[in-house]
Amino acid sequence: MASNRIRVSERMLFTWFTIAGFILLFAPQGLSDRLHFTFTKIFQWPLTFGRAVTLTKHSNSGNTNELTRRELQYRNLIANLQRQLEQAKMQIEQLSLLRARLPLQGAALMPANVVTAISNSELVINCGSEFAVQKGQFVLTDICIIGTIDAVDYYQARVKLFTDPASMIEVNIGKPAIARLMQGTGRNSAKIPNVPRKHKVKKGDLVYARKKAGCLDTPIIIGTVSQCRPDDEKPLLWNITVEPACSIEALLQVYVLVMNPQKPARF
Amino acid sequence: MRWFRFVVLVVVIAIIQSAFLEKIAFTDQHVKPDLLLTLVVFFSICGVSEAKKARLGGWEFNISEAVITSFAIGFVADVLARSLGPRIISYGLFGTLLAHLHRVVSAKRITYQALIIFITSIFAGALVALLTLVQQKTPATFKLLLWTSIYSAIAGPFFFLPAAWWMRIKTRRFTKF
Repeated sequence: MASNRIRVSERMLFTWFTIAGFILLFAPQGLSDRLHFTFTKIFQWPLTFGRAVTLTKHSNSGNTNELTRRELQYRNLIANLQRQLEQAKMQIEQLSLLRARLPLQGAALMPANVVTAISNSELVINCGSEFAVQKGQFVLTDICIIGTIDAVDYYQARVKLFTDPASMIEVNIGKPAIARLMQGTGRNSAKIPNVPRKHKVKKGDLVYARKKAGCLDTPIIIGTVSQCRPDDEKPLLWNITVEPACSIEALLQVYVLVMNPQKPARF
Repeated sequence: MRWFRFVVLVVVIAIIQSAFLEKIAFTDQHVKPDLLLTLVVFFSICGVSEAKKARLGGWEFNISEAVITSFAIGFVADVLARSLGPRIISYGLFGTLLAHLHRVVSAKRITYQALIIFITSIFAGALVALLTLVQQKTPATFKLLLWTSIYSAIAGPFFFLPAAWWMRIKTRRFTKF
């Protein structure tokens, strides 16, 4: 009996692997997510370390960056408070006899570290369903919304930034505020289509994420209008580009907005 | 093939690809080299077993290892991109094709290696985009694919030497063919 090693021909190997590839091509997205979460869970330490190392180039400019960040934080805070005040006034007017619940009263902010970035518009964070994080919840940093939870594992979750081409978030824009869907461009910005030119929108206007049942009970700033010009193809509409209200390229920590959490917050 | 070393190399490259390459990424589209595809090219042109004399004359290579490594790297690339299927098929197909081509063409010079990486990256990227469309997802733009291919072609050949050292592959032996 010589060696009984099974020899498989190259063609057979290629055929098997190709068939396996096609089976995986039509496998449910949940399987891809689970495998990716497993990878990030196993190699969490080197991935987090790598991200911290690579982001040092963003933090090298020192005090100027910190100052700009603080300014942005205060601007976002003021904008959110103004919008909350407006909302509270409206509630008082409409329901003067009823006791109004303050915005974000029952919400908790779950802090989470960014483990790694899948692309320039998706992040993996180390906070999952263990802390009541669910798909669709909003993610904040520097007091402004940056995206939503796209997939959840027990220990981790994936954040789809609003700049991702697959991201669609309902927003309010202009005065008086109109509701539109904002779609990411994949280039650190987003577009708001179908805004008629009769609405007054200008560069620098603030854009707010709309209230969403179970996820957000008060509008929160999401970005600012960086470009607003008549659409080349449809001259009766605006071509609006929105840039994030904070720097989303060098994120190390974010907060998940959990409305009415069933479990205690992390801190 | 030293399979344990291969697994360690692929895992290290996967971590570098997903966490460390941001430092050398440029433009707002975060263009960075595709090290996993470079690895596919490396194993397809340097990782094939030693040639034997064919019965009908000429040389015969055993490309089974190149086929396995191409599909395995494709699987890892798919896990990183969290979209199973496109890269397994694409990297596997082009890795196998390259290994077959290695019977007639050898890439000794760094410029040839860069050219092979560029061409493979373009074609493999196009097939990945096509298969991503089949999955009803948004594929990468051609501009991003082009810049990634150029970047991979520039950076890739410099990665061959440490990879060959780690895999204990004598790249010089290919120069005689």
